[in-house]
Amino acid sequence: MAYQLYRNTTLGNSLQESLDELIQSQQITPQLALQVLLQFDNAINSALAPRVRNRVNFRGSLNTYRFCDNVWTFVLNDVEFREVTELIKVDKVKIVACDGKNTGSSTTE
Amino acid sequence: MAVVNPVPKLYRSVIEDVIERVRNLFAEEGIEEQVLKDLKQLWETKVLQSKATEDFFRSNVQSSLFTLQLPHGLHQTLQTSTASLVVPAGRTIPNFTTAELGTSNSSANLTFPSSIGYPIHVPAGVTLQTASGHLYKVNVPVIVTQTPGLASAPQHPLHQLFQPFGPPSVIQTGIPQLSPSALQVTTEKSQRLDTVFPQPTLLQSGIADRKHLGNVTTDIFVPPGNEHRIMSEALLSQQESPQYISLPGVVFAPQIPPIDANVEPALGVSTSTTPTLHGGPFATGPQGAVHQHTPNAQCCVLKNRMDGCDSVQEPRHTEEPVSLPISKKQSNSQMDLHIPAIDDDINEIIQIDGTGDTSSSEEVGSTRDVDEADFPGTADGED
Repeated sequence: MAYQLYRNTTLGNSLQESLDELIQSQQITPQLALQVLLQFDNAINSALAPRVRNRVNFRGSLNTYRFCDNVWTFVLNDVEFREVTELIKVDKVKIVACDGKNTGSSTTE
Repeated sequence: MAVVNPVPKLYRSVIEDVIERVRNLFAEEGIEEQVLKDLKQLWETKVLQSKATEDFFRSNVQSSLFTLQLPHGLHQTLQTSTASLVVPAGRTIPNFTTAELGTSNSSANLTFPSSIGYPIHVPAGVTLQTASGHLYKVNVPVIVTQTPGLASAPQHPLHQLFQPFGPPSVIQTGIPQLSPSALQVTTEKSQRLDTVFPQPTLLQSGIADRKHLGNVTTDIFVPPGNEHRIMSEALLSQQESPQYISLPGVVFAPQIPPIDANVEPALGVSTSTTPTLHGGPFATGPQGAVHQHTPNAQCCVLKNRMDGCDSVQEPRHTEEPVSLPISKKQSNSQMDLHIPAIDDDINEIIQIDGTGDTSSSEEVGSTRDVDEADFPGTADGED
């Protein structure tokens, strides 16, 4: 079973909200919604590695770090994300990273 | 050349992949294909709304995009899905080819994404009808734009939505911009909208009446002005008498017997004085020009929005009775039913603003929802 890490992303949250709406209108069952989310987990986990080749560097101040149940959680402040063409500055970044095995996986907010 | 942004394509591919994967699941459960399509549309809409990716829509447009092209003399109905609206991004005038709705020659199925990042140009003569049955006729070319964020305050959309609008004769040229937030509101609350105004009554005003609107600064949403159709938002016409509800700065045009008014600025909110406050309620309604509201609803909505406008109440009360008969003529009984309910809500709502307000927030909220839904096609950007 793939990481459910990506459910708390824009893509994942929008999917969950959409499924909730369908459940509200009783068009689908909660069980089916759960199955959809599981499929989403598989889909996005398997899509990221081969489809995304961008490289981004970031630097900031580490506010907190946590390693629990093989999951890293970082909170950074005043971070600068640098890609080849653009620079993005943010005040706070939360990074949740699971063991990538072959590839690293992480989500930020 | 800038680095290619992989996000839109990635999201699109993930969505497509997931939908394909669950297609069998849905079939096994005995769920219709339409539900799966709804899921996909909802999902795409929300991703668009989140602005997670600017190009998202562009890449997605092709499949669900259909152009709407309506000549002035042609009445077409645009049906929008209640679940979600998908609108081609960056497209100017979509072309509609749809079956006729009611008296209209053709009806078009238009899906508007809840959040449209770009203006949508709706040429005059187009009639939009939501799946819920709301009808909006665009008598005047309207540009529906979307603003980021949800228009929690209906006033905001209206404010932005309303812009000086030229005389009716200039309908084709004058294309007011609708606040996107209004659009969002309408789309997102499409469900509520449906519940609020189920009856597809269009408010039509005579051409002569419409001309009055032209004189007033108005924002024109996709004016639903098809025959026998009543726009909940109703056209605002300051000149109009008893059938029009006059709010400070806002004029409503009550339903008018169906008249072939190709040039009618079907849905227009005239903000003669202050483009802000009064415009607000309407803006939310006409968002995306997809919503059809009974004139009574308009009054109610305006009333609700015009928290500080006591004067609104009076005209409303007086106007509503007048418009009621008219609406009855053309609208379903449902509309009438809404009115009393709305009145109650309005009364409470108006009092809410005061210190002695004890009305429940739920009522207010529901009314607000209704109000937002009342105004069709107003795409008003938030302040």
